[in-house]
Amino acid sequence: MSERMIRSQIPLEERSLSPGSACQGCGAALAARLAFKALGPNVIRLMIPCCPDTMTNNPLVVGVFEGGGAHLSGISRGLKAINRSDVTAVGFFGDGGTYDIGMQGLSAAAERNENILVITKDNEAYMNTGNQRSGSTPQYAMTSTNPIGPKSRGKARPKKNIPLIFAAHYVPYVATASVAFPEDLIAKVSYAKEVEGFRLIVIQSPCPVGWRYSPEKTIEVSRIGVQSGVWPLYEVIDGDKFKLSYKPKELKPVSEYIRYQARFRHVTDVEVAEVQKRATSNWEQLLRSDELGRLFI
Amino acid sequence: MVGNKACATGVKLARVQVASAYPITPQTTITQYLSEMHANAEFDFDFVNVEGELTAQLIVQGASRVGARTFTCTAGPGLLYMHHPMQETGTWRLPVVMAVVHRGYKGMMPDHSDLMSQQWTGWIHWYVEHAQEILDTALMAYKIAEDMRVRIPVAFGYDGYVLSYTAEPVEIPDQETVDAWLPPNKPYPSILPDGYDARKFMMELMEMLGAGDPQNAWKTHHEAILGSEQVLRETMDSFEKTFGRRYGNGMIETYMMEDAEAAIVAMGTIAGSTRSAVDRLRSEGKKVGLIKLRSFIPFPETDFKEWAEKVDAFAVVDRSICPGKGGPVFNKLRSTLYNVEERPDILQFHAGLGGKEVRIGDLCNVGEKALKVVQGGMVESLVEWV
Ligand SMILES: Cc1ncc(C[n+]2csc(CCOP(=O)(O)OP(=O)(O)O)c2C)c(N)n1
Repeated sequence: MSERMIRSQIPLEERSLSPGSACQGCGAALAARLAFKALGPNVIRLMIPCCPDTMTNNPLVVGVFEGGGAHLSGISRGLKAINRSDVTAVGFFGDGGTYDIGMQGLSAAAERNENILVITKDNEAYMNTGNQRSGSTPQYAMTSTNPIGPKSRGKARPKKNIPLIFAAHYVPYVATASVAFPEDLIAKVSYAKEVEGFRLIVIQSPCPVGWRYSPEKTIEVSRIGVQSGVWPLYEVIDGDKFKLSYKPKELKPVSEYIRYQARFRHVTDVEVAEVQKRATSNWEQLLRSDELGRLFI
Repeated sequence: MVGNKACATGVKLARVQVASAYPITPQTTITQYLSEMHANAEFDFDFVNVEGELTAQLIVQGASRVGARTFTCTAGPGLLYMHHPMQETGTWRLPVVMAVVHRGYKGMMPDHSDLMSQQWTGWIHWYVEHAQEILDTALMAYKIAEDMRVRIPVAFGYDGYVLSYTAEPVEIPDQETVDAWLPPNKPYPSILPDGYDARKFMMELMEMLGAGDPQNAWKTHHEAILGSEQVLRETMDSFEKTFGRRYGNGMIETYMMEDAEAAIVAMGTIAGSTRSAVDRLRSEGKKVGLIKLRSFIPFPETDFKEWAEKVDAFAVVDRSICPGKGGPVFNKLRSTLYNVEERPDILQFHAGLGGKEVRIGDLCNVGEKALKVVQGGMVESLVEWV
């Protein structure tokens, strides 16, 4: 498990190449900036189609959208073949590239325990192409392919539980993180960098454009997402050892999180209650796991 | 040795560092031979048994990017599934080598529609006739793909079943000779982080890929593939010097063409059968020869223009068809010869599709029809389904 960090331990050196082409308040740009600070120079970064968040001063490989995990495995195998396993093969993918189109290759890479580090900036839709739904879009969220109308209340089904799906591949390291908790995020990336084998870190990365809130609220939105249990922070080792990284005495109601975002503008009290019910039950499961120190599914 | 074993042996002799594949008949046994070689530590390489062809292509693409020598292989549907990353392997000019063990789409038996369907991916495409040529071609493929004047991935195809699972005598060169002839691959440009300079890397990459705009990148890519023809010819000479075997000039191989009036143009195992057909025709005094097409991309335009001055008819046997458009070899040859002074007759034969048997007698008929045209006789149609 990662060690607790304090803010002054965050590396000062920037790896982000500015000016970036991200939107104001982009959560993913912040996720990239923080993650690559922790990773330092000795990495090869694989980029697949997604929002142009932050380019970093690292060797960059550009690859096909559907091939993130598979391609990264190849880079890692190649590095091993030329005796350069000291270089970390890092993928910085969107949720579309992780949850959806690249899922098969990523799952297989996890099953083979490829020596790769995958960081997913999860903004809960295909933002690059204009906010279409992804497997990560939460229930009831409005997207450009889930408009609200007589036959649609936004996305019909909840998002996939991707971190736990990968934990169930028994890989060395799976963690969730949030841009509102930078020390925790950096601690997890730093820890993951040193682990050998398959590592996945899913970073909650709010998108003001798609989630429809005003750009200066990015940190607030992500923080409340964590505090309400919509985005729990945790680590799983070998699909077994489990630790919650943030454990409030009491969760805030999900309505506080939902209220911030106009993508949920249409949501009724009954629907909020349904979202609350799932968040609470997920949280109870994670609390129980945390008490046991073992993932309890 | 069966064709697939010859292929795996070529991979071993080439000291491939990372191989990856997904089983599909009739390629499957290559994955098994490689798995055995890996399990028994027959040579130092990594074999990644993956969950699908898309991943197989991406594994070799990624490994090649950092400078490892790589190999993958597939057949028919597996090749189609690889299409998108193949395009990227081509675009980034990575010296990946791939064996395509032909399998058709209408049924599982072989024809060339799999590799033919990948013409736009920016690879070099060769077609191989027999088991010895598979092994030798695997070695030559690395030599050419990795040549700094080329840096283009190579796919070589051979007919499934008839070659993949059929035993033929194969001479195996010794490792030291191969090592001396085929030096290790050098990554270019290097993407390793040591002293990495984003600007320098981009400059080198842009120079290779064609700086400026995407159209220029296509132009540079196109010209690099055309340029590989010269490198292939040179490589065939040095291959013969070292190993004592050659396959024509690399682009084409001819048989009984010296005094031929008509040429049968064929690829892969059908070219092998055509040799026998030519023998039979010759024994009857009929002056027909064979031009075996080895390299479809780049296409041997110069060779065909030269032969067009000497023969009056080409009978093209196409083992694949673009429905509604026709045989790719026929179409390419006809456009190649459009501008020559005295245009020969070009006949189209569709044969061996979906593994349909092509007999020596069928190929004799092909040759005879071509001779008839040469002699001014009437034929019902220039297109025929054998
Ligand atoms: C094979 C393929 N299909 C579709 C696309 C179009 N496309 C590019 S980016 C993208 C969505 C990316 O979404 P995500 O991975 O969530 O990243 P984000 O844009 O949100 O950063 C899509 C659909 C593509 N580039 N390639």
